[in-house]
Amino acid sequence: MSARGATVARTIATLDIPPRPGCQWKPWCAVGLVAIITVITLSPQWGIDFSLEAIARNWQNGAEKILQLLVPDWSFFPRTVPALLETLQMAVIATAVAAVVSLPLSLATARLTNPNGYSRRLVRAVLNVIRSIPDLLYAAILVAMVGVGALPGIIALVLFNVGIIVKMVSESIEANDPGALEAGRAAGGNQVQINRASALPDIMPSFINQTLYVLELNVRASAVLGLVGAGGLGLLIDAVRTFYRYDQLSLIILEILIIVMALDLLSNAVRRRLV
Amino acid sequence: MTVLTIPSRRRAWGRSTAMIIVGAVVIGAFWSVDVNWARLADLPAQVMHYLWLMFSDPNWSKVPEALGQTWKSVAMAWVGTVIGILLSFPLGFLAARGFSPAPVRWSMRVGFAIIRAVPEIIIAIAILSVTGLTPLTGALALAIGSVGTLGKWGYEAIEGVDPGPIEATRASGGNIAQILRWGVWPSATPDFISFWLYRFEINVRSSAVLGLIGVGGIGDMLTSYTQFREWSTVGVLIIVVVIVTMGIDAISGAIRRRIVEGT
Repeated sequence: MSARGATVARTIATLDIPPRPGCQWKPWCAVGLVAIITVITLSPQWGIDFSLEAIARNWQNGAEKILQLLVPDWSFFPRTVPALLETLQMAVIATAVAAVVSLPLSLATARLTNPNGYSRRLVRAVLNVIRSIPDLLYAAILVAMVGVGALPGIIALVLFNVGIIVKMVSESIEANDPGALEAGRAAGGNQVQINRASALPDIMPSFINQTLYVLELNVRASAVLGLVGAGGLGLLIDAVRTFYRYDQLSLIILEILIIVMALDLLSNAVRRRLV
Repeated sequence: MTVLTIPSRRRAWGRSTAMIIVGAVVIGAFWSVDVNWARLADLPAQVMHYLWLMFSDPNWSKVPEALGQTWKSVAMAWVGTVIGILLSFPLGFLAARGFSPAPVRWSMRVGFAIIRAVPEIIIAIAILSVTGLTPLTGALALAIGSVGTLGKWGYEAIEGVDPGPIEATRASGGNIAQILRWGVWPSATPDFISFWLYRFEINVRSSAVLGLIGVGGIGDMLTSYTQFREWSTVGVLIIVVVIVTMGIDAISGAIRRRIVEGT
């Protein structure tokens, strides 16, 4: 008893502050690396030539223009209505089509709902490529293919959305409890029946959530797709920017702001009811 | 013997009304939009035709120039991200509950929300009257855009921190700066670094797009060659963009996974 007490006492006496976890130099190395890359990217011959000289030169004239942003030209409103409507139509249509297309694709890219390795990897690889091209580049190329208007914009948005929805939803399938799927298999269901009966109800909330998120993204994206001729507000933005009508640009920005925020409130309300 | 009955289905009026509204909006959009759907019929043929033009005989001689321009885009994204981080880091704290008074907090949050609602390319258009058509404009637009998302994720991460260490630091007499350093920073670091990297990935994609308004980089090159309809070059540029974006995503994703898993 007393011998054990002595051991405990000795152990306590020799207890030291534990050594700091990890190496101390690591964070500083990372900071150093970031600083070096930043200096390189800022240098005139290697990077983007971060010179404030132009800003100083344009300040007087530019500041006036930017101040115009604070005074929207309300009389411009009637002209923006058709473009605004087209932007909304494009966003809604693209979201609906993308949602329909991505539901089966998300089931096809998750391991739990598609045990076939080859088809899964193939679909994933294609989607990875699709996701790495920005929506505006799709729009620029599609405008050349099918002509100007809302159609290339809608197709570009669909491609862009499918990449996002499928990735998020298939990740949420992987995170789900496989129990229900195993029960379906044990009851003798084939893969389609299992997915329909147990995977689908599980992923519905995350699927609706992503679809709402994509709708928000689409309103914002379709507002700029017009810059390459793909319809919507972007066409107007392109027109007012060439004339430096910043008071009109300001009204357009304000409209996008209001719609995005309204959608944000709406989707938050829906999300709260889902959870 | 007790008779087991199947529980009756819940009547979901709310759900069916929602479905009807959604259906009506979608059908309304399809019906009213000014699109010649007939053009969709020859879209597959068109796509094959253009894919053939782009990738059957790629103009590889443009690769060095494309890589140079891509580097410029990536540099733009990097500078934008770094400036965005420097601006959003303190602002994130100002927007977090428990670190600043409510009026400051809410004005910060509204500010972030406004920035998030405006596409970067519009920010670039708005500031280019001061900064001119230079890559710097692109970087600054990306920086402002980054502040919107990084600020939001920042205050969410700060508010999500386990309150224990914060209380401990306060109890042992730490001031605000010390609470941030010892109570918040150690547990929020993985989150912060992870979403900084994620924002860099987003900025790389956006920087390619910013070229459309002429601030330079790969987007500039892509727009002009698409307008000249030099498809063999466009094909090469797309290949370069895809490979570079996927490469950067892979590297940044690997770093993020290591940080989140805590190695």
